[in-house]
Amino acid sequence: MSLKSIFRELRGISSGRETKWRKQGEKKSVLGCGRSHIAPESPQPSVFAVVQQSRWANLPIELLFDIIRRVESSETSWPARRDVVVCAAVCRSWREVTKEVVRTPEQCGLLTFPMSLKQPGPRDYPIQCFIRRERGTSTFRLYLGLSPALSGNASKLLLAAKKIRRATKTDFVISYSADDYSRANDYYVGKLRSNFLGTKFIVYDSYPACNSPVSSSGQSHVRIPSKKVLPRLPLGNYSTASICYELNVLRTRGPRRMHCTMHSIPASTLQEGGATPAPEAFRNCLDGESSSCSFVKGSTQESTFIKLPLPPESIQSTKNPLVLRNKAPRWHEQLQCWCLNFKGRVTVASVKNFQLVAAMNPSEIIPVEEQDKVILQFGKIGKDIFTMDYRYPLSAFQAFAICLSSFDTKPACE
Amino acid sequence: MIVLNSSDGATFEVEESVAVQSQTIKHMIEDNCADTSIPLPNVNGVTLARVLEYIKKHAEAKDDEEGLKSFDAEFVKVDQASLFEIILAANYLDIKGLLDLTCQTVADQIKDLTVEEVRAIFNIMNDFTPEEEAKLRNDHAWAFE
Repeated sequence: MSLKSIFRELRGISSGRETKWRKQGEKKSVLGCGRSHIAPESPQPSVFAVVQQSRWANLPIELLFDIIRRVESSETSWPARRDVVVCAAVCRSWREVTKEVVRTPEQCGLLTFPMSLKQPGPRDYPIQCFIRRERGTSTFRLYLGLSPALSGNASKLLLAAKKIRRATKTDFVISYSADDYSRANDYYVGKLRSNFLGTKFIVYDSYPACNSPVSSSGQSHVRIPSKKVLPRLPLGNYSTASICYELNVLRTRGPRRMHCTMHSIPASTLQEGGATPAPEAFRNCLDGESSSCSFVKGSTQESTFIKLPLPPESIQSTKNPLVLRNKAPRWHEQLQCWCLNFKGRVTVASVKNFQLVAAMNPSEIIPVEEQDKVILQFGKIGKDIFTMDYRYPLSAFQAFAICLSSFDTKPACE
Repeated sequence: MIVLNSSDGATFEVEESVAVQSQTIKHMIEDNCADTSIPLPNVNGVTLARVLEYIKKHAEAKDDEEGLKSFDAEFVKVDQASLFEIILAANYLDIKGLLDLTCQTVADQIKDLTVEEVRAIFNIMNDFTPEEEAKLRNDHAWAFE
């Protein structure tokens, strides 16, 4: 979106709000200043009480962009980065400009908004996080940072998960807040559900990934033109990945095998120019031309419907989903153990440790340089402390959910 | 010497070598628009005087980095309304150094503030609907957790 089009949109917003705004005469001349092309507007008659908006909300777009860009580029680490979130919440014009300034994690490797956790990581290097397990409360917290020792209290909490054991399955409810695991509000991110044996898991996202058709039992399907204001997508459980653990041929004496089928990520994503669908950081009720999601009437997807009690759960899958497998460790004769090169990020041996790479796929050619790239790495560095490094095409949420599955696998499978 | 006229009729004389720090004025001179004086209808007298103070100092003390740094630091210690006027003037007159200085000053003001504090300093009204505000509060709560 060019700066000029942002300005046009803002003029649209301001003229639509003429009952709330009044342009001062003084502001008229101020607006005429500068090399921006804001023409002075004549004062609008208003019926209701007049609310004067500050000149600072109507600074020429390029200047506001410059200022917010300076804030964004200097506050790259947390907690300072919250200043960018503040800028996006001051008023509409500031929000629009912040939207233009902030780049996705894929582009810049930085996490800025809650929605950044559902966007893929950078292609060339991983985002490094750590997970702290609290046994007493069966909760798990994901932090941005190398380790508690290095970032300590300044570590940014990204996500929290609570383990809930049921009769025949276990759920890990994932939330933006460590204090709120309700599945009925905006804090709900998704969940991981395991089968009784802890060998098969499904990752559910609270919203569908964009650009993928969604089938859901009991919902009507309507095609909505993307230019219109989209209704808020219903909070639900949309399957985004499946994880499967198997014993290897050596059974308990060897490392287990893991496969993750990423339903919402096509295998072609790893090819040159490939992309993976992801929500926009500002997809919400604030934006008229928000997400590019469309619900397709009469979906022709082959999908099975899982019938469960509320909320309705649905499966979305691309035709050729990306499959990840764990890298096979090598047996080290002298050390008498299985070894993987975690590049110093994992220091304690544990059956939970793994590295995921793209599995070979007969119908999609994975470029050679991508075949060996570790897309997700998870491992122990201390009592109840684990590191998690993830990169494109996974998002922080997907990576966290996959790592949580490693906590739940039962001895039957080890 | 170049003569500049502000929007409210004040007149200022400044040497051409100093005035051309403003790209706008420089282009006007080059395009021969500056025979008698240059009208600047978008800048008032008070602000123009401040801007000239800046460019005069930066012309005469060009090589004194330390001196300029402390001058700049003092220069931006003004009230919010004046800062606003100077930013717009620097933008209109296209004086890169002054624009960088003032924009950075505003960016520094925003650091470590809550949304309410930013609105207070810049006197900005909250123009979100209650529903939008609720969603923003969730984002905010996550960022400050």
